[in-house]
Amino acid sequence: MSHGRPTTRGPYVRPMRGWWRRDPFFVRYMVREATALAVLVYAIVLTVGVVRLAQGEAAFNGWLHALRSPVSLALHAVLLVSMIVHAYSWFEIMPKTMPIIVVGGRRLAARTIQRAGWAATVVVTVLVFALALWARG
Amino acid sequence: MPDAVKSVELEVLRYRPEQEDAPVWQRYVVPYSHDMSVLQALQHVKDELDGSLSFRWSCRMAICGSCGMMINGKPALSCETFVRDLLPGPLRIEALAHLPIERDLIVSVDGFVKKLEGIKPYLIPKEPRTLAQGEYLQTPEQLERIESFSSCINCMLCYAACPQFGLDPDFIGPGVLALLHRYNDDSRDGGRAQRMPVLNAEEGVWSCTAVGYCSEVCPKHVDPANAVNQNKVNSAKDYFLRFLQPKGATR
Amino acid sequence: MDVFKADVAIVGAGGAGLRAAIAVAEADPSLAVALVSKVYPMRSHTVAAEGGAAGVTQPHDSLDAHFHDTVAGGDWLCEQDVVDYFVAQAHEELVQLEHWGCPWSRTPDGRANVRAFGGMKIERTWFAADKTGFHMLHTLFQTSIKYPSIRRFDEHFCVDLVVDDGRVRGVVAIDIASGEFRLIQAKAVVIATGGAGRVFRENTNGGIVTGDGMALAYRHGVPLRDMEFMQYHPTCMPGTGLLFTEACRGEGGFLLNKDGYRYLQDYGLGPATPQPRNKAMELGPRDRLSQAYWHEKRKGRTISGPHGEVVHLDLRHLGERKLRERLPQIYELALNYLGVDPAREPIPVLPAVHYTMGGISADIRTAAPLPGLYSVGECSSVGIHGANRLGSNSLTELLVFGKVAGVEAARDAVSTQHGNASALGMLADAARERALAAVAPHDGGDRIATLRREMAQSMEDGCGIYRSGTTMQATCDKLAELKQRYRRVRVDDGSIGWNTERLLALELGYQLDVAQAIAHSALQRKESRGSHQRLDGYEQRDDVNYLQHSLATYQGDDAPRIGYGPVKITHLPPGIRAYGEAGEHYDAVSHAEEGARA
Repeated sequence: MSHGRPTTRGPYVRPMRGWWRRDPFFVRYMVREATALAVLVYAIVLTVGVVRLAQGEAAFNGWLHALRSPVSLALHAVLLVSMIVHAYSWFEIMPKTMPIIVVGGRRLAARTIQRAGWAATVVVTVLVFALALWARG
Repeated sequence: MPDAVKSVELEVLRYRPEQEDAPVWQRYVVPYSHDMSVLQALQHVKDELDGSLSFRWSCRMAICGSCGMMINGKPALSCETFVRDLLPGPLRIEALAHLPIERDLIVSVDGFVKKLEGIKPYLIPKEPRTLAQGEYLQTPEQLERIESFSSCINCMLCYAACPQFGLDPDFIGPGVLALLHRYNDDSRDGGRAQRMPVLNAEEGVWSCTAVGYCSEVCPKHVDPANAVNQNKVNSAKDYFLRFLQPKGATR
Repeated sequence: MDVFKADVAIVGAGGAGLRAAIAVAEADPSLAVALVSKVYPMRSHTVAAEGGAAGVTQPHDSLDAHFHDTVAGGDWLCEQDVVDYFVAQAHEELVQLEHWGCPWSRTPDGRANVRAFGGMKIERTWFAADKTGFHMLHTLFQTSIKYPSIRRFDEHFCVDLVVDDGRVRGVVAIDIASGEFRLIQAKAVVIATGGAGRVFRENTNGGIVTGDGMALAYRHGVPLRDMEFMQYHPTCMPGTGLLFTEACRGEGGFLLNKDGYRYLQDYGLGPATPQPRNKAMELGPRDRLSQAYWHEKRKGRTISGPHGEVVHLDLRHLGERKLRERLPQIYELALNYLGVDPAREPIPVLPAVHYTMGGISADIRTAAPLPGLYSVGECSSVGIHGANRLGSNSLTELLVFGKVAGVEAARDAVSTQHGNASALGMLADAARERALAAVAPHDGGDRIATLRREMAQSMEDGCGIYRSGTTMQATCDKLAELKQRYRRVRVDDGSIGWNTERLLALELGYQLDVAQAIAHSALQRKESRGSHQRLDGYEQRDDVNYLQHSLATYQGDDAPRIGYGPVKITHLPPGIRAYGEAGEHYDAVSHAEEGARA
């Protein structure tokens, strides 16, 4: 049986150190944020490509050759996976960033918005591939 | 189906400022039954084993918002979390994360209440109307727009879920911002301009980095992440429109 | 002791307390309001109310019809002038709440929608999905923030009224977090602390509904009126007692026994029609439905479950879409707590104690016989509900009489001075000593939970849906014994701040006093009326001897003294309470007679 006495000890504040490791949800969030770096890296790669294009055919071919190196292929594989994760996690949060859309008296479901996002991605990807094949042939 | 399980172990984080400097874990064993909630397990401890264990609760049906706590590391309402889903245990029970612990499972709620009071959380009618004229008209579609945001029971699970709030307690936070949005989006309300300063502030929507865990843990499907992130667009619009329109002209 | 001087103090910040606070602030913004509550306002039990709030709305409805339904529903124990006032103010108060932002459910053209409810002849129940109390409470709390004159004392537990020179002068409360006592002086005090359902074992109520304010007034000599009338809600969750709203039945749900039979038709509520019909079958009044369950149980026609005998609430024919739209909270409750999908299986239900019809004696101005004291809401007996409350009348009551209490308390405060400071200080110190003595460490005493369980079981056994002299006397004896054992109740927690165990012990003291008032009032009423039904030779209503209010007066450790007071009957003389087809016939006949008389 404890006996109380008045105390000046106030509420206890728990430290935030290592917060993102405490829950799988937070780990996934940090991974999502990290994929932004992949986007940055790929943007740099493409920017270099544009600069090389401006510098003439020899420079541009040099850039294309570099892209085919094993290191570059490995990097691109990682970047591709990161971009897919980036797209997935962005679509996951996208409905949250949009105002409510009411269709026929009911609120448009998050799943519908996500599916629309993936559908748009697939369409654009197919279009880009088609364009590339047409430009090649 | 008869239960083979007869009892379950609880590990509860205690904090008695009159006795100790820092929280300590304490173990209890309670008898188990199939439909028992975590709240009922805690009540057994208080009733039969240790009357000094303190926690908030009231309605037992997830509508009063009193009984939020961390159960096995996740923010949850103890009255609608069932022990059968957490077997074999032990259950780790701790006060809601990111909030100061006043005693055992009781956290400081004043900060939240002050923020709630600071957003003008009441209807500021667009047009005047006398009682004799009856109710304002509002269609079911208009009501649907605010339905989820008006369902917040002030349980603060979203604050326990939000790492930005944990890192910066001045952040207005998901629950209060959802309530603010509820009023802004009410078809009868004309107070948007008065509430913009709260949204626009650093501690307003701009502290949110769209983690989204708040909406995940919300027991009433309020979707505070949506309320906050929708308003980033509104806040940005307001900022830029200020250059085009005289101050205070935002609608 | 810390002293705060207010003009009006309100104890309890639920729907009634908040409405009263707003009313004071609007009547006179210069008056300081102290709003004292043992929980944050949004935790008050108003939040759990589901079904709706009644007010005459439709053109084919009338104040007379609402009046008639209420008085007949109350088995003629209502104060008819109070009911007249109530039904006349209802609509305007609901509109006022809408103007304050309450998200009432709407018709397609944007007007407030109304639904059918038990015991009401015409649809007049405004609702906000199936969470009406929640929306009303949050609207009132958020609106109250507009008024700077309202100062809240959140998580402050009231231990006593301060009465000096024959008048209430304030309250003494514990600041729960620090454990310190505070004197809140006031020129008028409004009690709005809710009901006392927790004195019974199976109940729909939250843990905080322990009759605190009733006990405080009672201990200062204010009679508790009509305490024997405890409402059993017919459709509650087995085990926890949680509520499945009457709106389930308003939307067309059926009650079935173990043969899948709609048994209510055997109890004067028939005939059974596939569509819901007002005041018939599942839309009959709550006391009749709970009593029908009791009879079915005795006949062995109920279904055995792990938490006792149940009947089935069948909502399957409504379909999942309608259920998720009109009864979403019920859907989640059944699914999460019971693992039952209401669209596919019937929900097991049984009656549980839900509402306290009786309470602190209050006149039409909500004033108690003790000067300076007012009471409103479930803790109060202002005279609307009589022997049985109709669903959706109590949420409206919070608004109509919350306003009255605020206005009256404000008027009173303006013409009164504060009491003598040092006299009040001494009274406050004495109140603190009494509270601390009640929960001083006692070795060898009973645990709080042991006494509470025995009390609640005894109340269920002796003062349940059906009562007899022997069972009620046994409960009265048991309560006397528990009060003695309570003097040595054991409290583990010796801390000063956040000592919630100490508060539970104080609440148990309130509950024992209120339980005694209930049990003794029930024992003395030798008739059956409304929700007070006897099996021991007093099965009939006795208007000759008992068309009266019971009044329980505190006698300290002794049993309360039960007296009687007149019921104000103005324009509806006592008649037969008839529902179903018999009711329609009776209504037609009596209207014809009224017409002939006029």
